[in-house]
Amino acid sequence: MEADNTPTDEPTATPVDHGDAADHGQAGHGDGGSDEPTAGDRELHGLLAEFETPGALIAAARKVKNAGYTEFDCYSPFPVHGIDDAMGIQRTKLPLVVFAGGAAGLIGGLFLQWWMNAHNWPWIVAGKPTWSIPANVPIAYETTILLSVLTTFFGMWMANKLPQVWHPYFSLDRFAKVTDDGLMIGIDAKDQRFDLEQTKQLLVAAGATDVEECYRDLRPEATEVPKWIYGAMTVMTVLAIIPFALAAKARRSTSADPHWHIFSDMDFQPKAKSDQAFPEFADGRANRGEIAGTIARGSLDADDAYYRGLRDGQWITDVPADVTVDRDLLARGQGKFNIYCAPCHGYDGNGHGIVPERVAQAGGAWEARNLTAPETIKLPNGQLFNTVSNGYNTMMGYAAQIPVQDRWAIVLYVRALQRGQNATQAEIPAGVQVR
Amino acid sequence: MSATKKLHPDEKIKADKFGGQMFKIGAGVGVVLLGLSVALGAGEGDGWRHFLHAYLTAWSFIFSICIGSLFFVLIHHLARAKWGIVLRRQAEFITGALPLVGVLGLVFMLPVVLGNQNLYYWTVHQLHDSQHPLFHHMHGSGKTGWWLDPVFFFGRYLFYFAVYIGIATWFRKQSLAQDADGDANRSEQMRVWSGLAVLIYSLVTVFVATDLFMTLQPMWFSTIYAVNYFSGAMLATYCVLAVMSMVIQRSGRLQTSITVEHYHDIGKYMFGWTFFWIYTAFSQFMLQWYSNIPEETVWYNYRLFGGWQIVSLVVLLGHWAFPYVSLMTRWTKRILPLLAFFAVWQLVFHYIDLYWNVMPNQQWTMIGKWNMGPLQGPPEAFKVGFRIVDVTLLVGLVGLWLAGVGRSMKGNLLPTHDPKLGACLAFENY
Repeated sequence: MEADNTPTDEPTATPVDHGDAADHGQAGHGDGGSDEPTAGDRELHGLLAEFETPGALIAAARKVKNAGYTEFDCYSPFPVHGIDDAMGIQRTKLPLVVFAGGAAGLIGGLFLQWWMNAHNWPWIVAGKPTWSIPANVPIAYETTILLSVLTTFFGMWMANKLPQVWHPYFSLDRFAKVTDDGLMIGIDAKDQRFDLEQTKQLLVAAGATDVEECYRDLRPEATEVPKWIYGAMTVMTVLAIIPFALAAKARRSTSADPHWHIFSDMDFQPKAKSDQAFPEFADGRANRGEIAGTIARGSLDADDAYYRGLRDGQWITDVPADVTVDRDLLARGQGKFNIYCAPCHGYDGNGHGIVPERVAQAGGAWEARNLTAPETIKLPNGQLFNTVSNGYNTMMGYAAQIPVQDRWAIVLYVRALQRGQNATQAEIPAGVQVR
Repeated sequence: MSATKKLHPDEKIKADKFGGQMFKIGAGVGVVLLGLSVALGAGEGDGWRHFLHAYLTAWSFIFSICIGSLFFVLIHHLARAKWGIVLRRQAEFITGALPLVGVLGLVFMLPVVLGNQNLYYWTVHQLHDSQHPLFHHMHGSGKTGWWLDPVFFFGRYLFYFAVYIGIATWFRKQSLAQDADGDANRSEQMRVWSGLAVLIYSLVTVFVATDLFMTLQPMWFSTIYAVNYFSGAMLATYCVLAVMSMVIQRSGRLQTSITVEHYHDIGKYMFGWTFFWIYTAFSQFMLQWYSNIPEETVWYNYRLFGGWQIVSLVVLLGHWAFPYVSLMTRWTKRILPLLAFFAVWQLVFHYIDLYWNVMPNQQWTMIGKWNMGPLQGPPEAFKVGFRIVDVTLLVGLVGLWLAGVGRSMKGNLLPTHDPKLGACLAFENY
């Protein structure tokens, strides 16, 4: 491919020696309006040569490399394929670093989850063990990618000696072209083979259209960082500490002052919310309640037996008229029981659900009630319904989550469990064993 | 400044007898082993249950390579890719086997129409569970069931193959015609139509994977299943292209056209699709494992416990972990014997993956009912139950597939007048 890119015409421009310091235009590159350095105040940094085509750049880079130079670099506005080989640059070691970064991300991500969820603060999520690999894969995958990307990005910076905010070549107007259409080779004067005249000859022979000398200004005003920059950095550092200092103070102290309200018109809106105090009304409440003599649609709930399990103030022992006991209802009850009740009471209702199991694993001691024990069997249907609806001891009520019909289905399924768990050999079909 | 190269003047680019040899060897092996398989299948005495499942597995293997090659062709035109021009004709030849693969599929499609209920159990309509959400889609449910109807099912099968063969034939014909007349406009035409073709291809592939493989257990559903099948198909395609290129080069053809740079890129894709495959497979598994809903986990129940547990682990380690880590480095892709090893390795594991997908579905026909609880039923329902007929069917169908590819392998082994061929010949990885 190289053959296609080699320029056919000879370099046209003859190199110009810019040895005279006065030739170096500094307009636009001013460093505080200082004058041009005199010969005694400057040092030769290197030679910058310009080439016409990428092919010429590759050919020249190969010549420079073959001449034994090591301290040189090529500059172009776009990637030039094959330049690495021409310059004799070794394949990058970056992939190995990235692999190490990725492996660290993988192990770190797994360790993070183990330490947080399985060790330091065991927490059951969705009934899964606190340390379960499938649940940890997505996060380990993300941390692997994160650290791979970060090591790629910053590894690339380090390999390319970035960020580099200034370079002696910036003092040459010509160098601005490398971000547009300039293709250049710069050879450092510190290279062992560097010799101003010979190196210049080499670059011209390699096809440079122009070769320019680059000098570094050695005067203090050009090399030293201005004092005000130190001052600004100090001030900014101090300012940056302030938020953290305030946060640290707030964590260690108490205050009687109210919160700051940054958007007070959002925090205090001219309206009343549910269950707030509202002095404009006679009773002082924001809620207006139901209008006397009316009932909200669908909230009649007149049937005590159906909605509350009561008849004449007593728990009912039969089932309400609106509940039809059949196979479908029991299947419905089984489904709802397995969703809402089984986590604590267990699938067979004996109190050995997954929550007590995990409590035991975590070193605690708590058991759900055994629904198939005699003391539960003797409770009337109405009371079971009430327990499902409103809770009992530490058990919360499920009235808000489970519709009335389904709560009755659960009650009946619990009855079925009680019957099944206490079945005698005589009650079950032949060939099946009571366990 | 993209570099270009011309074909080496001494390059042998004609297929000549290569396709004929492939056809003879493939057809010979295929016919003999298929006959043997039928004898073995008849001897099982299980109403062809094992034979049909094993046949579907082997068939899905050769089918996946055909549709993977079709996608390779389409995406090359769509992306105006340069790197793989020297491989595109091989992929086009592989898609030439699609009609034969379609005919071979009749071996399991016709029994469905004729009432064999040992492969797709939804044909057993009297056993349908009226509680099941898919019940209404099933044939004979007496309600709105029309999707899972044997005749409609067979009609869809014919439609899918008509679409595949139509797309594949048009692109292959255009490509071969360009060899003859050198009309660069044909490339532009193929690029223009590849966009629509990819869309249609994707839709049809989703339906194929759902119809042919996911309905083996119609109660189970996974929206990423088709993507997973497709990713396995693509992985297998790049492996086949690597092996086939090496075989063609050993025969003295395309000696200078296919370089280590092209193999390197095949290797990159093998690496990429290996990861995409596990990505989709794990996505499917993790969501179902996490939500823990019986109608979803039942599919994994029979694969993660009992005899299939070891197969699941083997697939995870063999189809992903080992090749993934090994294909990561540049050298695995550039040292050709190593690349060949991993191509063959991944093809073997692609089959094992399909085997793992299809074969455990037999448990339903053994137990006679859907079982969402722990492993129950006769022990053979949750054993791997490997038979020699599995291997004879695989080798036999691969043989017939080779015969189909060989038959279409006529003319040049690379598109000689593709405008981007020069760039492809000069292609280098930097």
